[in-house]
Amino acid sequence: MSAMFSQNPVMNGPNYSFSDAPRTNNGEFREHRFNPYSDNGGSTLAIAGADFCIMAGDTRHTSGYSINSRMAPKVFRIGGSNSDQSDATIALSVCGFAADGNALRDQLDTVCKIYRYRHGKPMSVHACAKRLSTILYNKRFFPYYTHAMLGGIDEEGKGAVYSYDPVGSYEREQCRAGGAAASLIMPFLDSNVNFKNQYVPGSGVGHELKERERHPLSRPVVETIVKDAFDGAVERHIEVGDNLQMMVITKDGIEEIMLPLKKD
Amino acid sequence: MEVLLGISGKDFVLIAASKAAMRGATILKASDDKTRELNKNTLMAYSGEAGDTVQFAEYIQRNAQLYSMRNETELSPPALANFVRGELASSLRSRKPYQVNLLLGGVDKDTGKPSLFWLDYLAALAEVPYAAHGYAQYYCLSILDKHHQRDISLERGIELLNLCADELKRRLPIDFKGLTVKAITADGVKDIPYDDDKIVKSA
Amino acid sequence: MDALVAKYSRPAAEESDPFENELESHDLMNPADHLSLKFAMPPVAQPSSWLRAATDDRSNPECPIKIAHGTTTLAFRFQGGIIVATDSRATAGDWIASQTVKKVIEINSVLLGTMAGGAADCQYWLAWLGMQCRLHELRHKRRISVAAASKILANLVYSYKGMGLSMGTMCAGVTAEEGPALYYVDSDGTRLAGNLFCVGSGQTFAYGVLDAEYKYELSNEAALELGRRSILAAAHRDAYSGGYINLYHIEEKGWTRHGFSDTNPIFWKTKLEKGEFSNVTSELE
Repeated sequence: MSAMFSQNPVMNGPNYSFSDAPRTNNGEFREHRFNPYSDNGGSTLAIAGADFCIMAGDTRHTSGYSINSRMAPKVFRIGGSNSDQSDATIALSVCGFAADGNALRDQLDTVCKIYRYRHGKPMSVHACAKRLSTILYNKRFFPYYTHAMLGGIDEEGKGAVYSYDPVGSYEREQCRAGGAAASLIMPFLDSNVNFKNQYVPGSGVGHELKERERHPLSRPVVETIVKDAFDGAVERHIEVGDNLQMMVITKDGIEEIMLPLKKD
Repeated sequence: MEVLLGISGKDFVLIAASKAAMRGATILKASDDKTRELNKNTLMAYSGEAGDTVQFAEYIQRNAQLYSMRNETELSPPALANFVRGELASSLRSRKPYQVNLLLGGVDKDTGKPSLFWLDYLAALAEVPYAAHGYAQYYCLSILDKHHQRDISLERGIELLNLCADELKRRLPIDFKGLTVKAITADGVKDIPYDDDKIVKSA
Repeated sequence: MDALVAKYSRPAAEESDPFENELESHDLMNPADHLSLKFAMPPVAQPSSWLRAATDDRSNPECPIKIAHGTTTLAFRFQGGIIVATDSRATAGDWIASQTVKKVIEINSVLLGTMAGGAADCQYWLAWLGMQCRLHELRHKRRISVAAASKILANLVYSYKGMGLSMGTMCAGVTAEEGPALYYVDSDGTRLAGNLFCVGSGQTFAYGVLDAEYKYELSNEAALELGRRSILAAAHRDAYSGGYINLYHIEEKGWTRHGFSDTNPIFWKTKLEKGEFSNVTSELE
């Protein structure tokens, strides 16, 4: 506006022009470096059981070496009929950049709520998973800096976990760890959930050995694995700690459990 | 885009090197021989920095000959390979290291055991049943993984070499002007005729 | 003066900040709006170079967002139809993000697409292509040809050229008018028809095995085995490939799946029963 009151006699009026904007040597407009992202640390974990699914995350919120909050949850109920989400059937976990995570949660929640009002029933995890993929891909050229996971119960009553990359490629899995300590937790899950590289003793010699059979884990076992995974991550990763938030999704709804983790 | 290939078998080692001598976008010579005989039954093929290659190969060749004159005995292929590695390693720690990739193949005069060694310019040494340097690695190692066996005959070795060379002709964007192919057996090093003019059609 | 003010100021409703969330620009009440191809853009002059700085781990290893890359995929035409085979590994830098990726995308019951490059790009645009193919069927009362389907995809990615899409895909299908048809389409806008393609970081290794034994006259069993063996070769030699071998066979009646099988037991079976991979030792000395 101030440019309007310029008294430049030659220009006779507003004389600020964008063609005068500072340029680089290459002739491009000089911009302040546009860096809309930060990493708020933390880790998430999701495991599907036979008729349930657990979504978990720590509650620490960091930037660099500072701890901003010790109680900033990253697992959210999605698509309930009201704001307290008491009747939600799907959980979303996001880690990476918390602001993008919140924006993503809000957008997905709105979509699920509109679906519920239009159709008079909650969205299936399958549909919600596909929709989350397109939401993420709609920001393909300006991505959400998040690693998202979606958990729920599928149409057959089985536990379902979907994991995403920042721009929306997704896959249904038995288990997945995300965020800062993904590389610490994922190998532990490979061993304890998928029984990778485990063989039945005495079932053969050398390459004839039979693989240990996979079976769906019971809820107490999964809860123990989740707690152990996070205890391990807290021990070896600075961005993980404070509290463990667990959402247990069953056909009866979502139960939330908070457990303490080390605070140092 | 230089090609070096090596295949060992029951009683032989085959070594092949591309015939093109390239500088920038020009092929200076289309009948270059990128191999040197270190002694009667050891052959070394080289690729890498222009100048360094021949200098280093001939330096090794002369020292191998000097050794046999002084001691009235020939070095075995593994002994030579370790000697070459040592020279390359000390050069690497000098002001101007030789930048040469090598394949060294030989047959032990006494035991008749064939051996093939892969060396890179950082003086890493590995004894392998088959080897390649440069882009040939990306195309030929998977072919040899499938078709090579340790006890193959020289005829089968040449068949495998042709399989590899055909693939390179088919997929490499630059013409490497055919291959110099040499076989090392207990009887010494002999040239293997190779048809440079064969045209390979892509699928 | 008032005219000037009006000319140079925007009404309050338009004073919205471009940083505000997309809920406004996207009409959430319209159920088809999310398929409208209106993508959010960063508020900078050169969105593509900004995107590269933020997501391309090759030019900037410290980039905050790592997009999954690395693959071996192949497809070839033969007397009995088309074989499509892929590995299943997804990598982000040197981290193996997944060993169970489905890189064969079922566009519909007769068309398959393969995935190399950005996983999300391939998943999204091949799903989108599936939608376009279905619309074609509804509009014209007959199946789309593979040539047309691949051209729809090629034109689409070409319209995004320079924006940072990364995909190398093959569209394969058998139709009555074309017979077995195979097209390679990549994010540069290249579209090629051909008998045989390998795409991804492990392509050269797969080409090596495939070219050596490929013939159009291959039997169904031999073709399946060659596809499987070529992926195994790439999984063995290329660190960015591995996991499981995903095999498909397409005929005019549609595609059939021939397993999603772990490479490790197949490797040892191949080595021990056929004596291949003689550079690997099976016992510890």
